[in-house]
Amino acid sequence: MSGKATYKTFKGGIHPPYNKELASGKAIQAAPLPREVFIPLQQHIGAPNEPLVGPGDRVELGQKIGSNEAFVSAPVHSPVAGTVKEIADVAGFTEAKVKCVVITPDAEQPGFAKQNRDVTALSDEDIRSIAREAGLVGMGGAAFPTHVKLTPPKDKPVDTVIINACECEPFLTCDHRVMLERPHDLVQGLKLLVRAVNAKKGVIGIEANKMDAVDAVRDAAKGEGGIEVEILEVKYPEGAEKMLIYALTGRKVPPGKLPSEVGCLVQNVGTAVALFEAAAWGKPLYERVLTVTGPGIKEPGNLLARIGTPISVLIEACGGFVGSPGKVIMGGPMTGWAQPDTKAPIVKGTSGIVVLTPETVDVGTEEECVRCGKCVDVCPMFLMPNFIVQSVKKGQWDRAEMWGALDCFECGCCSFTCPAYIPHVDYVRRAKTEIAALKRR
Amino acid sequence: MMIVAEKMLVTVSPHLHKKDETIERAMKDVLIALTPAAVWALVVFGFNVVYILAVSCITAALSEVIMRKLLKRKATLRDYSAMVTAVLFAFLLPPTTPLWVVAIGAFLAVGIGKELFGGLGKNPFNPAIFGRLLLWFSPLAVYTTKFVEPFFWKTSGFFTPIATSINEGAVGRVVYKTMAGNPVDIATAATPLSLLKSGKWLPDMVAGPTPVGATWVTSGGKPSFWSLFLGAKSGCIGEVCILALIIGGAYLLWRGTIDWRIPAGIIGTLFLLTLVTWYHPVYNLFSGGLFLGAFFMATDWVTSPVSKRGKWIFAVGIGATVFILRFWSLRPEGVALAIFFWNIGTLVIDRYIAVPRFGEVGNKVFNQLPALPEPAPEPAKKRA
Ligand code: SF4
Ligand code: SF4
Repeated sequence: MSGKATYKTFKGGIHPPYNKELASGKAIQAAPLPREVFIPLQQHIGAPNEPLVGPGDRVELGQKIGSNEAFVSAPVHSPVAGTVKEIADVAGFTEAKVKCVVITPDAEQPGFAKQNRDVTALSDEDIRSIAREAGLVGMGGAAFPTHVKLTPPKDKPVDTVIINACECEPFLTCDHRVMLERPHDLVQGLKLLVRAVNAKKGVIGIEANKMDAVDAVRDAAKGEGGIEVEILEVKYPEGAEKMLIYALTGRKVPPGKLPSEVGCLVQNVGTAVALFEAAAWGKPLYERVLTVTGPGIKEPGNLLARIGTPISVLIEACGGFVGSPGKVIMGGPMTGWAQPDTKAPIVKGTSGIVVLTPETVDVGTEEECVRCGKCVDVCPMFLMPNFIVQSVKKGQWDRAEMWGALDCFECGCCSFTCPAYIPHVDYVRRAKTEIAALKRR
Repeated sequence: MMIVAEKMLVTVSPHLHKKDETIERAMKDVLIALTPAAVWALVVFGFNVVYILAVSCITAALSEVIMRKLLKRKATLRDYSAMVTAVLFAFLLPPTTPLWVVAIGAFLAVGIGKELFGGLGKNPFNPAIFGRLLLWFSPLAVYTTKFVEPFFWKTSGFFTPIATSINEGAVGRVVYKTMAGNPVDIATAATPLSLLKSGKWLPDMVAGPTPVGATWVTSGGKPSFWSLFLGAKSGCIGEVCILALIIGGAYLLWRGTIDWRIPAGIIGTLFLLTLVTWYHPVYNLFSGGLFLGAFFMATDWVTSPVSKRGKWIFAVGIGATVFILRFWSLRPEGVALAIFFWNIGTLVIDRYIAVPRFGEVGNKVFNQLPALPEPAPEPAKKRA
């Protein structure tokens, strides 16, 4: 890392092996049509949707099939034209079962009938309702409904909209490809975001390992007032909301607070492009670009896949496994979920599928903490991961909170660097559950 | 269409781990870093050093295996931590320590200092220092406080194992013999720090060229700078060659195994305090166990604070304590004792010294427990 120009960044963090070259040169391809799609009714943080269709119903491409009146929710749409087979509980990408609308697609699929709307005339209110109707959520993983983020508290005006284009997770390249192939749509999407919250400017933060994307987006933004492209140091988790805001603006979001506290709004590349598609074309979020990659995949690539496609279909589309897989991860390797099989359907927040071979899986055995302090050094939130673990082991929940369990955003830097192979995130999740339960009493 | 896959591993994120970041690797690093000092000890004090190291290592390994069996814990010998403790413990001894004393000390260090306290990670004290101090405050202390001239092997023979007996004939008298019982002619010599403490420098007679060219003492009877720095001096096995310790320390810093704040804080503090009081600043730095302690003992992961802030407090505390002990106490040396005190201090620092979170406003100095409702009568104790 030495000898290179220094770019903006945050304190702490790690330098995992990135392995982006596996898929970064592969153009986005359309994924094959699965025999069945499984659309989870809840793909966002918030209230779960109620199904709007029942078994035997006919659905069209882009038709709304699940919604909820609650403000913090996002509807889901059918990614295919076909027939509803059933509403069933299916194993999702986390351990929990999720309620899905199972649809059998027609053999012949129509293309999406694009409308051609003038987006310049839209008001902030229009943009918010478009985002909601299109079912937009954060597509980087957290899947928070976009329209909620676009409604900051009245007393906390947003002046800067930030596009998280870091893609700091190792292996993943989907945002990189989208920036290369659709830079104009990204810039238009950002302009809509800026308008939705009446911000002063939009900033696109890109890590220095994607200089071609920097050029592409800078080109696209030429002549657009109030849009900046910033280069950031290659470090994980550069794309974490609070780290990114700090790196770009020097503002620090206080613990437990939202970015609007410091006048910022962060959105993902995919979400910005999806907002443009929704506003200009009337297209709801029913498909997304994701990366299928890793040493365990024969032909790594970037696919445009329909939401609800089982991951087995996508793995086959990329040539299948190399040998037998060691670990199949939904999402990036730092925060993603290991899968017991390949049945789970992808959701709006799925940015990739990473397959490790048995040789590249490094789990180790959990040892006693040797108090080396490495986890403390790398924690970007400046927490005490080792003491959180110690407190959880003893069931001392007040101490776990004192050491910062509630402020942990589960980036995994601590475990990555822990010589004792302690799975801190596991303990942190337990602490969060227990502390929440105590606070409810 | 379903892909059948056996053995897909499901664990919690993250799914990547830093290459070569293991306890074992770190311990091996420390052993590698201690090698230059060990080699130099061999040159200065002869092959007796190897006998001492061997006895220390074998006893440490046996102590760990036996204690873990007795305490019904899983074997951990492969993490090399017992070896690190054994070498560091041996480094803290005079080069003529009787082997049976070495064995007792190594057991105290690993068997008691580490395993009885709960094993690696739970021991509150640096095990090597714990073993050394127990010896120091025991009736065996006399065996571990008599120092000999550098290059004494020129008279006794390089490979001759030395058997020391104390109080033979008269109280306080030291007699050096070969294992076969033949007396050998070895002169005891005060360490540079006890020379400083007593204010009486060496008689000119012992001055003379050493095999490395530097002289042990200058004409005034004061150990020369180069003899102090390169290690042609009387002292404990591992502490004599400052250069070798710096090389080893630099390796550990480069490998990221130790944190620079600790050696910098300790050495810097002692230097500043001796400078302000004009108490032989340079002489003080390069005498005694300061570098060995600062680079290899105080940096022990388990017994030093985990936060950067804590590490600074810890390091400055040790530096100041060493100064106080050297300046005011009767003992010439105080590094081991100072580290021991601050091993206890570590528990307090870690618990109470606050590290402000990202974005936290205000200058919080001390940690405070948040008020949570009392846990349910059955505290939920789910184990992984
Ligand atoms: S404690 Fe949480 S925020 Fe800190 S490094 Fe670990 S996972 Fe990341
Ligand atoms: S990195 Fe692991 S071993 Fe080191 S202090 Fe943190 S939890 Fe303990």
